[in-house]
Amino acid sequence: MTFGAHYEHRPTEAFPVMQRTGIKFFRRVARAGRGIFAGVGQRAFFVRDVFRAFSEPGTWGGETIRQMRNIGVDSVPLVMIVAGFLGAVTAFQAFYQLFAGVQLSVLGLLVRGSIVLELGPLLTALVLTGRVGARMTAEIGTMRVTEQIDALETLAYDPIAFLVVPRLLAALVMLPVLVTIANATAIVTAWITLITATTATTSDYVTGLRLSFVPFQVIYSVIKAVCFGGAIAVLCSYEGYVTSAGAEGVGRSTAKAVVIASTSILVLDAIVAAMFAQFIAAG
Amino acid sequence: MKRRDEVLVGILITVGLVVGVLGTIWLVRGGFSSGYPLYARFKWGAGVKQGQPVRLAGVQIGVVSDVELDPSGTILVKMTVEDDYHVPRNSKAAVVPVGIFGDQEIALIPDEPSMVFFNEGDSVPPAPPTPGIPELTARADTISQRLDDVAKTVQLELVAGGGIADLRKTLAATNELTRQLSGIAAEQSRQLAATLTRFRSTAAAIDSVQLDSTVRNLQQTTRNLAQFTDSLGATTHQLNLVLSKLDKGDGTLGRLLNDPGLYYDFRRLSSRLDSLTLDFKKNPKRYINLEIF
Repeated sequence: MTFGAHYEHRPTEAFPVMQRTGIKFFRRVARAGRGIFAGVGQRAFFVRDVFRAFSEPGTWGGETIRQMRNIGVDSVPLVMIVAGFLGAVTAFQAFYQLFAGVQLSVLGLLVRGSIVLELGPLLTALVLTGRVGARMTAEIGTMRVTEQIDALETLAYDPIAFLVVPRLLAALVMLPVLVTIANATAIVTAWITLITATTATTSDYVTGLRLSFVPFQVIYSVIKAVCFGGAIAVLCSYEGYVTSAGAEGVGRSTAKAVVIASTSILVLDAIVAAMFAQFIAAG
Repeated sequence: MKRRDEVLVGILITVGLVVGVLGTIWLVRGGFSSGYPLYARFKWGAGVKQGQPVRLAGVQIGVVSDVELDPSGTILVKMTVEDDYHVPRNSKAAVVPVGIFGDQEIALIPDEPSMVFFNEGDSVPPAPPTPGIPELTARADTISQRLDDVAKTVQLELVAGGGIADLRKTLAATNELTRQLSGIAAEQSRQLAATLTRFRSTAAAIDSVQLDSTVRNLQQTTRNLAQFTDSLGATTHQLNLVLSKLDKGDGTLGRLLNDPGLYYDFRRLSSRLDSLTLDFKKNPKRYINLEIF
């Protein structure tokens, strides 16, 4: 019997309490790390399957328009309401934080910078995570637990091509559109707020809006929207696709999907900012 | 239903594209009208940026649409002026600060009203630069340099010249003096406390009956003094009356004092007595005739 073998066969409960606690702690850390990496790997395989499913346009083509309607058109009122209040709040915050001596055109600059570069895409994506992402997870999860996905496979339909690809395409196309509308709405409501509730004038606001503007700032906003749309569709569809344990599992998957998608959106926001923020400054 | 979805999605995508593209154009070009370009050159570091307003006599007529860096030491600024506005040909372009935080705008300043205007693509000559943040920064640099000189002088005097050592010695001496004063104060305090203690014991030893008697004697003395003062006052009053009478010439003494005739009589008498005395000294025999036998 070797020295190592001696320890291998010794039961953990016989160890001193500190040693036993340390072993349990490191086992849990290892298990959690393994779980995280396994989750990333499973989602990576899922993404690979999604890309493979693009080869079946006959399966996803018809459903895509319906998903665009669900994700895009039906979300317009909610997005506009959120963006409207966002613009008003941003304008108020910007105005009341200015101190004497600062020209009021700074308001336009602040509102444009805050909304187009950050708040417009981010808040729109977070709102859509709740409205669209949760719906995706619940729909696909319900189909999973009621074995409709199994039935699709039985009928030689690729369930990913039929369920996930249309949602992904719809999110990739509709998120930029919704973010653009949200940006425009917020800028307009900020203008209305400033000219009606503060001493700022249209000339001040418009001057600030145009100050140091480069078109890439709009493209930057669209890039963020595309990334957020892809994250919402893939992550929420995946959680629905792997749902188990009946109705309770659907609820758990939905909550998990919203949490993971929201967190991922914030992480993606930081990554996109780190990659592209250097291009948004005017000379 | 499917057809309706397609139409709605198409409308939404179109609206999104139109909003995005037109919004970008509106922001970049300063409006949907094309405008016409004017150019101006400024020195490097003028602080001109795309999107800054262009004003003619205080009225915004366009925006800075492009800024190019020229290696020759200037920047070429392209201004897009709205079609409705015309810039007098005698105007000059200046970069002027807006607010206190370094933002700039381009001011087109005409010498006087004119109906001759710049044409599309013309260059507006630059006006003499107004003092701005760089000039203020230069002034601040000068002040900073002077402060630096002062600091060097202080360093020279206090550090190199041993001023700090002297200061430390002074402080040490002051500390010593303070310590001694504290000792003296403590000693004085101790002695004062002892004196107070003795005083209290002495005060306690004073017989209250004797004290009462003394006080009564003092009161009696005070009353006597008051009576004496009253008598003195009455005497003074009477003396004043007498003096008043003397001064007025009333009575014998008053007449004696105030009658100048008596004075002159005395003077004449004195003079005669002097003459008599002299004569007596000179001729004593005239007055004294002593005969014995």
